[in-house]
Amino acid sequence: MTTSAKNQYQAGDPRQIVRWARRYAQSRTISFLVQWVFIVVMVMGIGLAASLTQAAHQEGKTATFALSVIFMFLAALALVWFSVSRWSGELVFSITNWLYGREGYVSYSGNDPDKSLPLWLTGLGGGLLAYHLLGALLISFNYMHIKYMQPWSAAYMTPYLILMVVYQRLGFWAWLWPVLYGLHAVALMLGLPVRFGRELELFNIIAPIFAYGLIAILVGHAYSRYALRKLKSLTQSSIPEYDDEASDAGEEKDGGSPANG
Amino acid sequence: MDDLDRTIHEPARLRILTLLSGVDEADFSFLLNTVGLTKGNLSSHMDKLEKAGYVTIVKTFNGRIPHTDFRLTPEGRSALEKYWEELDAIRAMHDARE
Repeated sequence: MTTSAKNQYQAGDPRQIVRWARRYAQSRTISFLVQWVFIVVMVMGIGLAASLTQAAHQEGKTATFALSVIFMFLAALALVWFSVSRWSGELVFSITNWLYGREGYVSYSGNDPDKSLPLWLTGLGGGLLAYHLLGALLISFNYMHIKYMQPWSAAYMTPYLILMVVYQRLGFWAWLWPVLYGLHAVALMLGLPVRFGRELELFNIIAPIFAYGLIAILVGHAYSRYALRKLKSLTQSSIPEYDDEASDAGEEKDGGSPANG
Repeated sequence: MDDLDRTIHEPARLRILTLLSGVDEADFSFLLNTVGLTKGNLSSHMDKLEKAGYVTIVKTFNGRIPHTDFRLTPEGRSALEKYWEELDAIRAMHDARE
């Protein structure tokens, strides 16, 4: 099987190109980084507006309160719009292509591109929102302490994201986020010193989401540099060009291309 | 050696097809950067592979910017698999003689 990357070929066998091409395509994480930056900026905007709203409310500044509520609403709207709009998808694609520059574009999903996610997985995605809403309600009505917010989230997010990573056949780097997020929850439950204090309680969920996301993306990007170097050297060394004499003869026979064997 | 598909047996085209067999699609810049050919040579090889029915060209637009990707066709995939099988058989025969 030529195209199976599972086969074990000897070092230098050209068929190893298949494996390294996939590894490289799977670890191109710049598009995730671009999305990460946009989302962090918008979430920070919402957080800033929320802090302003709270401060204005406490100090009784009605105009500032109204403005910050409007700003918070617009930032939340922008986040939702960014997540679903075609324009933002094209923007991320353009920035990604620009950042990859001469490397060009390559993709590997391992799945039929026309095949959509199975219904049960889409259903689990919807359940994700309902589950977190339930957690927020339990905290609001004092049925659950806020310190359990991240472990509560991880109990759903970790297995759900692992399923997504497996289904979408993402590279090994994509495992890092759910695994680290799950381990963080375990560390919090064990009382290890990884928690933010009372005034920064929200950071106990925001920081793991963004920090582990960034770690996973950067590890993926670093691996893609290695995979690309390996792919180039393997492609050019495992299938050598013919010698010049044969190549010249081939050019004549073959309309300007290098020689046929 | 006579049985080997000469379209595939050419080193540059073998590189291109092997690369494409590992991914869903790739664009011209990626192939240029990885395979190590000049633009003219790569274009010429892609033309030959397209004419042989081994690759398909997918033209899309990202906004107003045109984007050209290449994909291995099912015919290209099975021809490449057959090529490797035949090459393995030739190598095995050669090893047996030695």
